[in-house]
Amino acid sequence: MQEAIDRLRAEGLSRIAQADSPDALESVRVGLLGRKGELTGLLRGLKDVSDDQRPAAGAALNQLKLELTAALENRTGDLAGAGAGSMDLDLTLPGRAPVQLGTAHPLLSVLEEICDIFYGMGYDRGDGPEVELDYYNFTALNFPDDHPARDIQDTFFLNEDMLLRTQTSPVQVRTMERVQPPLAYVFPGRVYRNENADASHSSEFYQIEGLRVDRNISLVDLRETVNAFIASFFGGERQTRFRPHFFPFTEPSVEVDMECVKCSGKGCGVCGQTGWLEIMGAGMVHPNVFKAAGYPDDAYTGFAFGMGIDRIAMLKYGIDDIRLLYENDLRFLNQFRGVL
Amino acid sequence: MKISLDWLADLVSWDDTPQDLATKLTAAGLNVEEIGEYAQSWPGVVVAKVVSCERHPDADKLSLCKVDAGSGESVQVICGAPNVREGLQVLFATVGSVLPGDFKIKKAKIRGVESFGMICSGAELGLDSDAAGIIELEGDHALGTPADDLFGHRDTVLDIEVTPNRPDWLSHLGVAREVAAIYRTKVTPPPVLKPGQGGGFGWKVEIEDYDDCPRYTAHGADDVAIGPAPRWMQNRLRAIGQRPVNNVVDITNYVLFELGQPLHAFDRERLAGEVISVRRAGRKQSVATLDDESRQILAEDLVITDGDGPVALAGVMGLANSQVTEGTSTILLESAFFSPRLVRVCSRRLGLVSESSYRFEREADWEMVRFAAHRALHLLQEFAGATILGDAVDRAYPDYVAPEGLALRVHQANRVLGTDLDMEQTADLLQLLGLKVQPLSSQIEGKTVNLMVEVPSFRRDLKQEIDLVEEIARVHGFDQGLGQGTGHVLIPGRRRALRHEVERKLRSWLPSQGYTEIVTSTFVARSDIDGLGLAEGDVRLECLAVLNPQHGGETLLRTSLVPGFVDVARRNLNSGAPAPVRLFQIGRVFWPAGEKAQEVRHEQERLLPEEPWLLQMGIAGGSGGKGLGGIPTDMQELRGVVAELSGLLRVPLSLIPADVEPYLIPGLQWEIRDAGGNRVGVAGQIDSGAAKRLDLDHVAGLVELDLGRLDLTPLPVRYEPFSRFPAVKRDLSLLVPDTVTYAQLDAVVRDTAGDLLESLELFDIYAGKGIDDGHSAYGIRLKFRSAKGNLKGKTVDMALERTLGALSETLAVRQRTQ
Ligand SMILES: [Zn+2]
Repeated sequence: MQEAIDRLRAEGLSRIAQADSPDALESVRVGLLGRKGELTGLLRGLKDVSDDQRPAAGAALNQLKLELTAALENRTGDLAGAGAGSMDLDLTLPGRAPVQLGTAHPLLSVLEEICDIFYGMGYDRGDGPEVELDYYNFTALNFPDDHPARDIQDTFFLNEDMLLRTQTSPVQVRTMERVQPPLAYVFPGRVYRNENADASHSSEFYQIEGLRVDRNISLVDLRETVNAFIASFFGGERQTRFRPHFFPFTEPSVEVDMECVKCSGKGCGVCGQTGWLEIMGAGMVHPNVFKAAGYPDDAYTGFAFGMGIDRIAMLKYGIDDIRLLYENDLRFLNQFRGVL
Repeated sequence: MKISLDWLADLVSWDDTPQDLATKLTAAGLNVEEIGEYAQSWPGVVVAKVVSCERHPDADKLSLCKVDAGSGESVQVICGAPNVREGLQVLFATVGSVLPGDFKIKKAKIRGVESFGMICSGAELGLDSDAAGIIELEGDHALGTPADDLFGHRDTVLDIEVTPNRPDWLSHLGVAREVAAIYRTKVTPPPVLKPGQGGGFGWKVEIEDYDDCPRYTAHGADDVAIGPAPRWMQNRLRAIGQRPVNNVVDITNYVLFELGQPLHAFDRERLAGEVISVRRAGRKQSVATLDDESRQILAEDLVITDGDGPVALAGVMGLANSQVTEGTSTILLESAFFSPRLVRVCSRRLGLVSESSYRFEREADWEMVRFAAHRALHLLQEFAGATILGDAVDRAYPDYVAPEGLALRVHQANRVLGTDLDMEQTADLLQLLGLKVQPLSSQIEGKTVNLMVEVPSFRRDLKQEIDLVEEIARVHGFDQGLGQGTGHVLIPGRRRALRHEVERKLRSWLPSQGYTEIVTSTFVARSDIDGLGLAEGDVRLECLAVLNPQHGGETLLRTSLVPGFVDVARRNLNSGAPAPVRLFQIGRVFWPAGEKAQEVRHEQERLLPEEPWLLQMGIAGGSGGKGLGGIPTDMQELRGVVAELSGLLRVPLSLIPADVEPYLIPGLQWEIRDAGGNRVGVAGQIDSGAAKRLDLDHVAGLVELDLGRLDLTPLPVRYEPFSRFPAVKRDLSLLVPDTVTYAQLDAVVRDTAGDLLESLELFDIYAGKGIDDGHSAYGIRLKFRSAKGNLKGKTVDMALERTLGALSETLAVRQRTQ
């Protein structure tokens, strides 16, 4: 019996390999596995095998059946691919994936990328409402009532007490009301300004706010953090400078400039020939903000910073009109395939 | 704020290029946004003499002149000015010169006579507004002298961004103080004139409420001769973008930009009575401001009145009824300190932001009120021929007290700045800014106060210790001398919170399924929400509206992501994007009628709308093809995506056929449920009526999932042993009555096939030829597997028999016979 099995294996495999068309292969299959096929014949012959050898012979026959079936399947595939047996394929023909890749929105990808850097530095991420109380957006952030400081940010009002947040900063106070220092957070999100849209302004855009509070946080910590972020995001040793500025909720307040990403400080169109790009506003948390959060006087110091994510995305990808980020034109978005 | 360096040099000296000065000012917080070159120059325009002047042969009003521009030869030119005459010295624009407004002087033929150039008026040169006649030069100038030598002016102008906390920088004097601090030098105050005592003026000032107007000064001047301001003053005003008017108006403007204090000059002859009253208007009325506009003022507006009524809106603008005119000869000069809030409220309501209101709402400088008036008196005497009267009035809040000194702890400054300053260094830095400091202790520790700092009237922004700390940093510089930080890394490698992890997964997985992320606007129109056809009582019908929208029309906050999706789909398909487009967004909507915050710190928080956090996926512009069981292939895909998404997030989701949304086709939508059976989303195809209302010409289906309402905790991963024994597959062809759903069939099979059933897959549905009416043939594949060993065919057959029996009994489903 074993002999017959071995012979059939050798012959069968050879016949399968030689079949040069689907039709030929089909007749080989019928000859081997069909109702009157050779393998079928051997299976029928099992009943004549002695009891002690039958299980081994049965197993061997089953094994052979599997092998021949696999060989037939493979050959079927070969013949189908080869187009009537020819191996002369045009391998430059395009491939076809089951789905065409979509795109994540570059603005939100930049947001995630920035968060990633701060996760790495030990920051948590927080959220706050976009429809915000005047209290959190202004009063708690040390904007006096009826003061021109409020004019810096043209506000969309919903009623006397409610507005669309003009900055992510209100989340600072919301967070400090709940969390005791030491704390380090980033707060990304959508903010709103009542400004006419142009190439660099949109009435809806994204900001990310950073906040770190502990017993003895200083301006030096702020500078190191900002430099670490810029080095990580934009790469390389990049010069930065702090310019004194004014924000009601930080003091001292600064605007941070970094060496232009395009010209590295020589001066070009992107930086208005100054060699510098304004990248964020920042400062030391104003004692009045700590007071609003309910922290005891003098207990803590801290820094806060805020960046426009749109602007950073535009710098990163050389996008010259902010409106492109909100038009959702697939001809724009498709360019960011693979960016996460 | 535009700063003329020519002007600034009167107040302080520095030795640097404009670029370096600008860099240092920027480093001190006066952000120089632009360095402009101002030039008043007329190349080609020269002094010439009118040698002869006759009437044009063919035009009454034109003169035919010959002028000598220094070459000795006379040039023929036609002039239309009435004052041209022989012997005048004039400014002559030679052929080829270019006048302001890009006006090129060419050879011309006027009524048949050739003209080679032009005799210029003040208006044509941009010197003044006099267009009626040509300039008659006074004195004797060498012919051919360039006009630039007589009237030309060059200046460098810095445009400085002034933050709202520093009103003192809205003047040349304030900037001069910073320059003095930077270059370690001193400010030279400009000359002033103090009025004498006694007689002549006689006006009184009444202040209704010192809270509204803590200080008001009135000075008198007679014998004023209205005329042009001196050339240098006009030049400086022009250089910073102001238009000269006449000497009196220009002088008040000049003082405003020099010292930061707004002044107003009234024509005293046009004022009734001899009492100026500062009071609330008392009633609503309409007044004419000096910009020739009629404006409504309210009872609570602060006004300046004479015996007859309002003559000025306090701190905002004077009224036309008392303004200085050509014929003015006596004036009353106002210099005051008005309530910043009242000025702001009035100016904002009227939409009238003047140089004056801009400064008053940022708070005036108490001491500057009188100094500025004296400065103006000096200029009026010098340049308007004025006689300054005695008896000036200075009414001030009787209880006014100068602000107290501020205590400074150097330890606290070092703590915030990361510096290591001692008391002397700190004192030196503050003194550079003109602050007076009194040393108390040189011990730098804890709460020890080291310095008392006197706050001058021009620095009312210095209100607490931290304000001084900022000044120290500003003068010290942010780049030098700062010490060590505490290290920016806290606990390396924080993890995302669950919801952010979910967002991240979705944003990476959906693109791999062909979906592109969009970011759509929060703002929608009423028609967008109406288009959804929501039923009465739907939470999404109530929208928050923006009180001050940008483009007039009603602007609402979205209560649904659907209009945004439809808009993006429509625009992309219309601009030729390959169909179908697959889109997704993760965004917030705003439901004022939704659930309010439960735990609040401030009662007002209960006013805030619910902000659900939604995931939306959609396909638009598909071919409308049908798949298994006649279900549109797009919907089949979306259903499949939801199933996979459930796996991705490890959160159980099920789709139950149910008509949930009015904008989806009835009978072609599902409710998405979480493990607890709660509705957390919906899927379906947009109804044609809704599509029409939303202006969408394409087939579209979508899925919405309320991520905020879904428990996103992923099912835990725990390894379970799997069977390595082979599976036994059985394909069945079942005859299913149309009244039976696949879900029913699936349930019966799973209930009855036993534990060995591993999977159940529907691979075909067929109806028509060969199938009984009211029935379909379902091809299903069952896979059986045992964990204990190879399955015997008999065991599987028994299970199948059970299942077929149950199907036939409960659902009248029979196995098809071949
Ligand atoms: Zn550059």
